[in-house]
Amino acid sequence: MLFKMIRGVLFHQKGKMLLIAFTIALGASLATGMLNVMWDVGDKVNQELKTYGANIIVKPKDSSLLSDIYDVGEGEQLSVAYLNEEDLPKLKTIFWAFNIVDFTPFLEADVKLPGGTDARIVGTWFNHHLSLPTGEELDAGVTGMRSWWDITEGAWLNEADKSAASSVMAGTGLAQQEGWKVGDEITLTGSAGEKTVTLAGIFDAGGDEDMQLFGPLDLVQELTGREGKVEQIEVSALTTPDNELALRAAKNPSALSSRDYETWYCTAYVSAICYQIQEAIPNASASAVRQVAESEGTILDKTQLLMILITILSLIGAALGISNLVTASVMERSREIGLLKAIGARDHSITGVIMIEILVTALAGGVAGYFLGFGFAQLIGRSVFGSAIEMKVKVIPIVAALIALVTLAGSLPAIRMVLRLRPAEVLHGGQ
Amino acid sequence: MLIALLSIVVGATILSGLVTIYIDVPRQMGAQFRSYGANMLLLPEEGAGLTADSLQKALALIPEEAVVGATPYRYVRLDMPSRQQSFISAGTDFSQVQKTSPYFSVEGAYPENAREILVGKEIAQTLDVKEGSSVELSYKTTAASGGKAPAGEKAGTVLQGSAEGFNKVIVKTEVVLDEEGKIDSLEVDASSQTPGIGSLVGTDQEFLDQFIGKTLPLRLSNTQPEDSAAGESGQEEGSTVDAVTGATISSQAVIDAINHAANAGEGAAPVENSEHFTVSGILSTGGEEEGYVYMSLKDLQRLTSDETLDAAELSVSAGAQELEEYSKAITDSVPGVTARLVKRVTRSEASVLGKLQALVFLVTAVVLLLTMICVSTTMLAVVSERRREIGLRKALGASDGSIRKEFLGEGMFLGGLGGVFGALLGFGFAQLVSVSVFGSPITFRPLLLPVTILVSMVIAAVSCQMPIRRAVAIDPAVVLKGE
Repeated sequence: MLFKMIRGVLFHQKGKMLLIAFTIALGASLATGMLNVMWDVGDKVNQELKTYGANIIVKPKDSSLLSDIYDVGEGEQLSVAYLNEEDLPKLKTIFWAFNIVDFTPFLEADVKLPGGTDARIVGTWFNHHLSLPTGEELDAGVTGMRSWWDITEGAWLNEADKSAASSVMAGTGLAQQEGWKVGDEITLTGSAGEKTVTLAGIFDAGGDEDMQLFGPLDLVQELTGREGKVEQIEVSALTTPDNELALRAAKNPSALSSRDYETWYCTAYVSAICYQIQEAIPNASASAVRQVAESEGTILDKTQLLMILITILSLIGAALGISNLVTASVMERSREIGLLKAIGARDHSITGVIMIEILVTALAGGVAGYFLGFGFAQLIGRSVFGSAIEMKVKVIPIVAALIALVTLAGSLPAIRMVLRLRPAEVLHGGQ
Repeated sequence: MLIALLSIVVGATILSGLVTIYIDVPRQMGAQFRSYGANMLLLPEEGAGLTADSLQKALALIPEEAVVGATPYRYVRLDMPSRQQSFISAGTDFSQVQKTSPYFSVEGAYPENAREILVGKEIAQTLDVKEGSSVELSYKTTAASGGKAPAGEKAGTVLQGSAEGFNKVIVKTEVVLDEEGKIDSLEVDASSQTPGIGSLVGTDQEFLDQFIGKTLPLRLSNTQPEDSAAGESGQEEGSTVDAVTGATISSQAVIDAINHAANAGEGAAPVENSEHFTVSGILSTGGEEEGYVYMSLKDLQRLTSDETLDAAELSVSAGAQELEEYSKAITDSVPGVTARLVKRVTRSEASVLGKLQALVFLVTAVVLLLTMICVSTTMLAVVSERRREIGLRKALGASDGSIRKEFLGEGMFLGGLGGVFGALLGFGFAQLVSVSVFGSPITFRPLLLPVTILVSMVIAAVSCQMPIRRAVAIDPAVVLKGE
């Protein structure tokens, strides 16, 4: 009997039930889409913020600030400490290896140009191909970490080309001063040798780099006789905004209780990643570039909070929309309910039948809505960030609970109200 | 009816709330991006000086509300006599620094009073100074070359000079004069001269010792003063020294170099000021700022008796295009000043902010679309419920047109009423979001009120249309029977 009645409603009142299912589907899709976007927006914006460049700088531990502060210029005679180039892939072996997006080593030196003037050459990776022991492959280097540079002439050095080893790029200022064009051959004289290189590109960096040369790391190592050495590594990592624990840990990790230490170590705080880099690379001292790290935190926090609030607003909207419609549809069926009562049906069985009908409809609408919401989330992810939004499993129970709660809240009070009316009045049509 | 009104209010709230947020987000988010620090630099043009005046003139070209902060900087190398070291010191305005470089992290406090300094972390570690330590900093102008004086020298004037020696190669000297202007110590770099002969002027102790205690100008004992008139007018402070045998040219070069240095220094009297400062905080940034000492511009100007600036950092809340315009206007119309954009900051900001805006736009669009459909389905259900009423009226002789008009009017009235409530609620919500996310109130947009009301009315009217038309089209008898 129950089954028959439900089937009757579902098939004979198709239009009405379809309308309810449709509205619930819309609400569910809104909730699904927004929740997924909300949870993924942090990661996505974090990726975008990588355009600001490195947020961690790794230097040799004993690197005195000598060359920074005393202006010793050449710095050749000073026993400056170096990091080893061969240690670099170790960056991808730390606990948060997956969060390390890009990194590049630097080695600077002064060279003599053909005209006799001195210029600074920076040796680095451009798009250095690394095959890690873990089987991962990646291209690391300055090409990705200086996204704000304009290449005014030529192109970025491509390390995959054979000619790259003897090519350099020059800043616009320097190129102008020396009258260089792309393709020119330049002989560079360093402290340990000289080499003729081809100018592969001219860049406009809008900073000091405009008066510098950028070349492959090997070239500068050769020119200065510092094989396998690097002075500094810039690391771009995805991080979690700092909180009170992170600030405490940054000062002195060993002062933490072992539980706090665990939490801190296993969270992608910039200080935790720095700490792990120091563990992985011998003799290194990693520090956060506050300008980048801190601002990233601020912007991530704000964006996430904004999305959470918008999500809450749309969830409230969806919930009210659904419960409204459900209430309306129950009220509409007051004659039917009156009739059932008149022929002797009990209140709880009437409630049961109507509830089951609505919940079945809600289930159908909810499932359809979930997939529709999936589509919306992907639409947003693709068109804004150019990558898919990760669908979180935890969204499904939340949306399910929300829909169930909302339909119940929308239908139960309405059913009660209708039941309280006397059947004769309802059937007569008086309100 | 209440249900229909409620659903319209919800729709209108979401509409006005989201649109207000969407319009305000670029401004609010842009302000957040200023935490990346300065995006414009003012630099003096060659040969001209940047002054507080020209900074004011430049600022006048940018709308006041767009300027987040403008920090003047003056960089000078100061000595720390007790440690025999010297550091780059920046004179600046700390209240502005906190605006243009919000990422500076200070352990302790920013200097508030005169003679307080902020010390970079690296310096603090090397020198082992802490918050509250007192350090002495001194400023010296070296008369001749303006180069830096070696640290830890006794008080006195340092003169650095150079002159051509044998074979036209340079001999360098550095002389320290005591208070009376007598030579206190002398160092000669004659490594460029012929080894064993000319180079002796730098190593021969007998030759060098002659200089100590003598006054400038100097000449070789076997030569006449160049300017005989000076000699006659009674200037007797000139002293003579004997040349190193066989190296007259090199010896003469040493004397020339010392005399050059003294002459060059006459224009700008050598200055030496030193003061005690209290460390009010330790600065950490993770960048090169950790190797600097920061003090107030006033302190530095008093110390150096010089009011020019080396640079000014501006943090301007504006789009990429406006920034270009501002920088061009400043470069063009403020004499002696070049404005440059910090590309790394402006570029990245434009790209990230663009993405965020697109995100909020799409989210707003999707939410609005879905909400509006929800509102119409509810309206649809509510009106459908009244089919019997429509049938009854028709049976009583009402024309289709009058029924349609009446329902339409009712729907639009509901839409308008709901729109008013919704617009106000929506603004309240947007305000809540703005205050809790960005900590600043949102600007009320009067235009949004009529727009919200209008949209609500249209949606209500449109969603009434379909069920009314259907009800009207059906035979009243069928409708009344309830099938």
